[in-house]
Amino acid sequence: MSRLKEIKVALAGNPNCGKSSLFNALTGSHQRVGNFSGVTIEKHEGYVDYRNYRILFVDLPGTYSLTAYSPEELLTRNYLIDEAPDMVVNVVEGPNLERNLLLTTQLMEMEVNLLVALNMYDEVQSQGIDIDVKQLQRLLGCHIVPTSAKKKQGLDSLLDHVVRVYEGDIEVKKNKRAFRPEVENAVDTITELLAHEPELGRHNLRWLGIKLLENDKEIYNIVRQYPVWVKVELALQQAMQETERVYTTDPELSITEDRYAFIRGAMQECVKHAPGRKRSLTDYIDSVVLNRVLGIPVFLFIVWVIFHMTFTLGTPLMDGLDTLFSMLSETVASHLANETLRSALVDGVIAGVGGVLIFLPNILLLFLGLSFLEASGYMARAAFVVDKVMHRFGLHGKSFIPMITGFGCSIPAIMATRTLKSPSDRLATIMIIPFMSCGAKLPVYVLLAGAFFTPAAAANVMFAIYMLGIVVGLLSALAMKKTILKSESEPFVMELPPYRWPSLRSVLLQAMRKAMMYLKKAGTIILLAVLLIWTFSNYPKNPELDAELDRRIAAIEQTSADEEEKEQAIIEAENIISAEQLEYSVAGRAGKMLEPFIRPLGFDWRIGIALVTGLAAKEVVVSTMGTIYSLGEADETSVELKTILKRDPGFNQATALSLMVFVLLYIPCVAAIGVMRKEIGEWKAVAFYGAYAVTVAWIFSFITYRLAQLLL
Amino acid sequence: MLLSDLNVGDKAEVTGLTAEGSIRRRVLDMGLVKGTRFKVLRVAPLGDPIEIVFKGILLTLRKKEAAGIEVEKTGEAGDRVPMGEQKRRHRHGS
Repeated sequence: MSRLKEIKVALAGNPNCGKSSLFNALTGSHQRVGNFSGVTIEKHEGYVDYRNYRILFVDLPGTYSLTAYSPEELLTRNYLIDEAPDMVVNVVEGPNLERNLLLTTQLMEMEVNLLVALNMYDEVQSQGIDIDVKQLQRLLGCHIVPTSAKKKQGLDSLLDHVVRVYEGDIEVKKNKRAFRPEVENAVDTITELLAHEPELGRHNLRWLGIKLLENDKEIYNIVRQYPVWVKVELALQQAMQETERVYTTDPELSITEDRYAFIRGAMQECVKHAPGRKRSLTDYIDSVVLNRVLGIPVFLFIVWVIFHMTFTLGTPLMDGLDTLFSMLSETVASHLANETLRSALVDGVIAGVGGVLIFLPNILLLFLGLSFLEASGYMARAAFVVDKVMHRFGLHGKSFIPMITGFGCSIPAIMATRTLKSPSDRLATIMIIPFMSCGAKLPVYVLLAGAFFTPAAAANVMFAIYMLGIVVGLLSALAMKKTILKSESEPFVMELPPYRWPSLRSVLLQAMRKAMMYLKKAGTIILLAVLLIWTFSNYPKNPELDAELDRRIAAIEQTSADEEEKEQAIIEAENIISAEQLEYSVAGRAGKMLEPFIRPLGFDWRIGIALVTGLAAKEVVVSTMGTIYSLGEADETSVELKTILKRDPGFNQATALSLMVFVLLYIPCVAAIGVMRKEIGEWKAVAFYGAYAVTVAWIFSFITYRLAQLLL
Repeated sequence: MLLSDLNVGDKAEVTGLTAEGSIRRRVLDMGLVKGTRFKVLRVAPLGDPIEIVFKGILLTLRKKEAAGIEVEKTGEAGDRVPMGEQKRRHRHGS
């Protein structure tokens, strides 16, 4: 086969215009997901071979406009400038053409090689909307291809047009769509001034001029570096005065109004709606789903369903994986004679990999649910319904779903914050998610509440713990938004897209992508951390203790007790020695070093160790306590562990409460930290979060401990 | 008057914009420019944000943001029977 010619195409369009569906329909399985450099915005790339061309598509984030206000919009236009794709396919939502054309006019202003995909054309036809494509082509100066990603219509025609535009068979007219005279004059003046700066030559000068008049901060910062700025600034001021005098408005508003005027004209000329628009399905659903009385119950029910699906369907799968990994551990253990190697493989590598994989069913299920909600159009409505409550704590309506997900597991919850557009809203939401008590902390509460409280009191204690998490989380959000994350929140000006039945394929694809992302990026950090914690709790080894164990076993063998009793005695001896080994290890020493700090909370060094190892996973707090109290394997239902704790003089109701509060609030497991680092993108914020969480945990534990001592 | 002063069912036309920064830009990008006619469709169950409809677009915005948009009423809730009422009056079928 001869070599394929490459054509690089960027897909741009509004949110909900079906751009991603079109991308999926075009590229099929030839896709790859990465990040745009420097930002946590996903970059979807894919290709399709058509005739003797390989057409590479880059799916840019959905945007309404090309301003410098949102990271997505900035990214889109910087991509178009810096990467200079061969052409831009602007995907527009056929049934909602008018609003979609705003982006089109801005792409026209950038004078890119433009091709318009008139998507959802099947809906245009079924709604009886008549679009004069030929006339619209004349007005826009570029070709328009009707497509339907859902019905897979018009895809070949689109590819054909891409090739023809690339080969120059179709001319893309750089229509100079004129603004009002005062603005045009200013644009011309500024363009001329900018032409004196050869270094600016790589930009489209007319576009720079328009953007300067629009008060675009990014473009200001570019042009300001050049000496010509002095004159440009003067011209901008003049334009400002001129439009103010003639229209009592500023150039920015004038430019936007002129764009809309052009669009309105084009719509009048080219689009005819069927007379008497029927009440749509969306109206009917919304009259229930957004009803003043039913809105909240419906919302809570939907969240409950998603949550339930994730964790009830996910738990058997999780258990299955768990069993699989313990089987693997046993097999490996029985085939390896070398004890160090065995321990490293079984307790380190297999436990580590298992600890990463075990979250996979939950992540997959949750994102199936969330992708469905997003693609169907409900997600925006959920934000609308709960925004008032969330806003009171400085958060956005969209923060709610990630927050509630945190009760299951912080990891998918942190990943779900990607729906939040404002970085400060997103950061605040990420940082309070770990305060929502996750499923892995439950065994700790079950053990402690079960050991020190009557069943009825234990239930109340656990409820109080969960509530405390919510309160601390919301108050933290409020405090952060009032201080360090003070920057402008995302304005709540949000479109409710019409309900659409999402394609199974794209929902599945979306969920799979999230899962892969988790495995690839978080997996490495988590594995490393688990191995580290394993090393710390096993080394250094005290050889004397090994010798001691051998001596004791020999002594037991000497006695006249029967085999069963001997075996029992040996296990006990082993448990005692492994507790002492743990004490001797780095983790043990860390626990002892921690003791002065946690003494005021009622904790001794043994709890210190459990808190350190609990960083691997919160359930580990329980199993570590089992080891420390010389029990060997233990879980939250272990009667012996409860009995030992109750008998221990250092442990009482106050300590138990204090420990529960601490486990609730302090740093989450390394898996969550890894994902946090990945999603925030820098360690600094993660370190701040860590310090904050430990401080908050300490203060609340201290108060709990002292109050409990007084009252109980 | 301001968009935030309108009641559910009111129809109005945008006459000006006092919002600034990203809110202003967002409002413009969504198509709420001078001359746009819209109708207030509903209020969220907790009383904020509100939902308006124009040109087939359903747009939600907080009252705080709506207070940055100047409007002039073109019709009141009583002009036409609101959609919800209509349904209740001629109840038919399921």
